Amino acid sequence: MEIVVCVKPVPEAETRLRPDAAGTALDPEGVKYVLAGYDESAVEQALLLRESIPGSRVHVVACGPAPRTEEVLRAALALGCDVATWVDVPAASADEPLSAARALASAISPHSPDLVLCGKQAGDNEAGVVPAALGELLGVPDLSYVLDVRWNAGASRFSLKRASEAGLESWTVPAPCVLGLQQAWNDPRTAKLPAILKSRKAPIARVTPPSAAADPASSPRRFELPPPRTGAKMIEYKTADEAATRLVRALREEAKVLP
Amino acid sequence: MPDFSLSPEQESLRDLARKFARTEMTPHAAECDRAARFPEEIYRKAYDLGLMNLNVPTEFGGSGLSLLDQCLIVEELAHGCAGMTTSIIANCLALEPILLGGTSEQKERFLAPFCREYHLASFCLTEPSGGSDAGALRTRARKDGDGYVLDGEKCFITNAPHASLYTVFATVDPALRHKGVAAFVVPRSAPGVLPGKDEEKMGHRASSTSTVRFEEVRVPESDRLGPEVDGFSLAMRTLDQTRTPIGALATGIAQAALDHAAAYSLKRQTFGKAIAEHQAIQIKLANMAQAVHAARLLTWHAAWAIDHGARGTLESSIAKCFASDAALHVADEAIQTFGGYGYMKEYPVEKLLRDAKLTQIYEGANEIQRTVIARELLRAYA
Repeated sequence: MEIVVCVKPVPEAETRLRPDAAGTALDPEGVKYVLAGYDESAVEQALLLRESIPGSRVHVVACGPAPRTEEVLRAALALGCDVATWVDVPAASADEPLSAARALASAISPHSPDLVLCGKQAGDNEAGVVPAALGELLGVPDLSYVLDVRWNAGASRFSLKRASEAGLESWTVPAPCVLGLQQAWNDPRTAKLPAILKSRKAPIARVTPPSAAADPASSPRRFELPPPRTGAKMIEYKTADEAATRLVRALREEAKVLP
Repeated sequence: MPDFSLSPEQESLRDLARKFARTEMTPHAAECDRAARFPEEIYRKAYDLGLMNLNVPTEFGGSGLSLLDQCLIVEELAHGCAGMTTSIIANCLALEPILLGGTSEQKERFLAPFCREYHLASFCLTEPSGGSDAGALRTRARKDGDGYVLDGEKCFITNAPHASLYTVFATVDPALRHKGVAAFVVPRSAPGVLPGKDEEKMGHRASSTSTVRFEEVRVPESDRLGPEVDGFSLAMRTLDQTRTPIGALATGIAQAALDHAAAYSLKRQTFGKAIAEHQAIQIKLANMAQAVHAARLLTWHAAWAIDHGARGTLESSIAKCFASDAALHVADEAIQTFGGYGYMKEYPVEKLLRDAKLTQIYEGANEIQRTVIARELLRAYA
């Protein structure tokens, strides 16, 4: 089984973010890009499926500029993906979900995968569009907010769970399909040191999509940081009782949210 | 000009160690310190990720890293917990004599099965009657038939109660001083190998330290490392290799102290503003940052020199000595920045001072490092 997993380089959670000079995107200067939690769960799911289906292969695909895209592909290779493809597009195109989906689809479709996995949304702009757009562009069913995907060889369908606000749904979906994975349900593995060293030397196929321009209609006009929070009050205390008493008093007398 | 930038490969190794330290070590550091608990589950995880036998070539199942790469990892681990790091890197010290002095048959026989699964090893040089005076060993290696019989006691041995392999230095004749020292590989299973009980320590309390008694322990000649008279040189060459990572370990403690102090100074208010806005604290932080930076660069330089073929005795002694002094000073200043809270065990900085202290003592006390530095220095003027 050919399993494709799509990943996106996103700023590390501890990064101090700031807008670029044009004020329309994040300034990449000094930003460290990593695999997002959603994508880590997707990679983990791909590896679990490979381990349960003999003769299968995990192909990791990412679109974006160098070097950040290469870095997350190598991180995915270190986790155990078999091969990697870098779809070379500018940052603006990778951040615009429709052009990102087009770029990914152009690289994925020649391989006719049985399954395409993505994080359900990007860890940075959180658009959540790519899995559905990929399904449309590849002409296959898609489903998102998915977890716990298993292959039912007899029925040639995937059985999976889907987390909704209402509860946990059970589905079966025919192959091929595109699935958007939930975050943090499968305890993604950590890459081991020898695998990290090996991944640095692994080849990465580079492809350029036919058209890589971001669609201005689905790109943000402006990017700014939220205003700094004000009004926080720290409660000084020595014991838990004292902390609770002072907190309740502040909530009652100052914030006036308690009767 | 030298290039101080790290390669993407080195950054990914550092990221691995940093993530491991932050997620697996830091959350348990205070508890293990308080209870003097040896967190074997953490050491097993470190082994599983390839963070344990860093200096052992990949052909024998280790990670096969350069000394600089080892230092990058050790600094990050020490930021999480210096005591755990001491136990994690003790294998590097214990196995180095086999790497330096072993035949290919011995390396294959000892290292390959050892590295194939989680095992700990201990380096047994120091004795109750002398640490720095390593030529005055009293543990005897008596020639007997086609082998030796070891008799004596070693002390302050890291991981000794948990180790399955010991590299042991013993004298065939105390009168020969340095020239009488031989090195041996001794399995824990050999009759007469008796590790003592855990010592109660000031710091590095997640690590385990004890005596090891060798009572009539028979060792075949095939388990001796190098020529019979070469043991002292082998011990010194081993320490030349492993001294620099102690500089990295001390740098990790110092960086952790600076991180805590700087973050606290931005939160803590006195006289109507954050203490970071007071020059007294700014000067402290600036001096701490200088010490951390210098410690790191000296460590990197020593590692780089050794990786490029230098023996590195001078460079590694300078790095170890400076970085460990810096760690103690920076931890001290971090406590001062925290004021009364810094003295309390509820806050993380007093542990750093206790942990830093050992780095001035072990793997060659700083007085010995200064003796070495002076000797190397004066040689250039003589």
